[in-house]
Amino acid sequence: MGRVAEGDERAFTELVRRFQGRVTNLISRVLNDREASEDLAQEVFVRVFVHRRNYRRGSKFSTWLFTIAANLAKNEIRRRMRRRNWFSLDALQEMLGDSTSHLADPTEGKEKSLMRQQLQEAVGKAIASVPEKYRLALVLRDIEGFAYEEIGEMLSIPGGTVRSRINRARGILKRKLTPLMRREGMT
Amino acid sequence: MNCGQARNIFGAYWDDELTQAEREWLESHFTSCASCRRDYDQLTQTLEAVTHLPRVEVSAGFADRVLVQARRRSPVMDRLPVAGRRWIPITATAALLAVLGGMVMQWSGMPLAPRRPAAPVALQQPVLVEPRPATPLEAARARSQTPDASLMAGGQEVTDSLFDHSEDVEFILDPVTLRKGRAHTVVRLQPEPARGQQAVITF
Repeated sequence: MGRVAEGDERAFTELVRRFQGRVTNLISRVLNDREASEDLAQEVFVRVFVHRRNYRRGSKFSTWLFTIAANLAKNEIRRRMRRRNWFSLDALQEMLGDSTSHLADPTEGKEKSLMRQQLQEAVGKAIASVPEKYRLALVLRDIEGFAYEEIGEMLSIPGGTVRSRINRARGILKRKLTPLMRREGMT
Repeated sequence: MNCGQARNIFGAYWDDELTQAEREWLESHFTSCASCRRDYDQLTQTLEAVTHLPRVEVSAGFADRVLVQARRRSPVMDRLPVAGRRWIPITATAALLAVLGGMVMQWSGMPLAPRRPAAPVALQQPVLVEPRPATPLEAARARSQTPDASLMAGGQEVTDSLFDHSEDVEFILDPVTLRKGRAHTVVRLQPEPARGQQAVITF
């Protein structure tokens, strides 16, 4: 990052290649929007380059990078919420309903890959339906694997708050996904 | 500990953040409480589904596109450092001092500028210019109806335009004076009261 701060474009490209997957994945899981996630991830890296002089040497680069990513994802969620009820519970119910009826239909078959795909879509929608402040903490922890302290730094909240938010998010997810898993014979 | 307390530490158990004593207690609780065991199983299945979601991969050329965007958005000022705009605070301070100074002087009764006696203002009478008639006949008619232009000019000297405007020339012949076989005619080039030099025409 030191080289990037001095304007080294090759170093910047290396940095992008190293983190592009994680940043895109984080945004994709938070927004549940594959197409938009790449554009937003691009914006994250552009901001890193434009504001590279603001990076404090000695601090962890990934924390700074994911702070920017989390903030942009948060802004995007709020922008969409203003426009329409993007992550409505009705949509989730609809998705879960479709998934189960589809699986229950003997004419469609019960291929495992299809089941897995349906389940993944349902999980993605369930994550997207968790309230924003819990969702970011959950994705940073359970999908990106950051430590609580790092998440606290990224979201500018104390470690205890991070823990409680993640527990709340996990509880919400469990309540939403357990019925689906039960129907599919996973529990 | 009861079931409520056990459920409160499910997350920490999943994250492996419990002390050894807490972990041992929870595991022993699971053997005796089927409800908590089932609850924890549901949580682990949920979290496994979340953690095993497929990773989203970026499309080819992502890093290059980012670099192009970054170059476009990177300000030119960043590459060519320039001196800060120091003139802005200096100008602002000077303007502030000027305003404050003016206010203090006004408050203390001092005149902002030394008063000078008012200079006499030269008043000039407006000069009325008579419209030029198109033909000599109209000119003669106009002269008979309106007063003389020189009178209207308030006695000011009128520009000599005798030779340019023949129709404006008026000859007033005084009685001819005969002096020893020669006739002298006095011609006043300018009518009364603006008397001009007299010309003597010798026949």
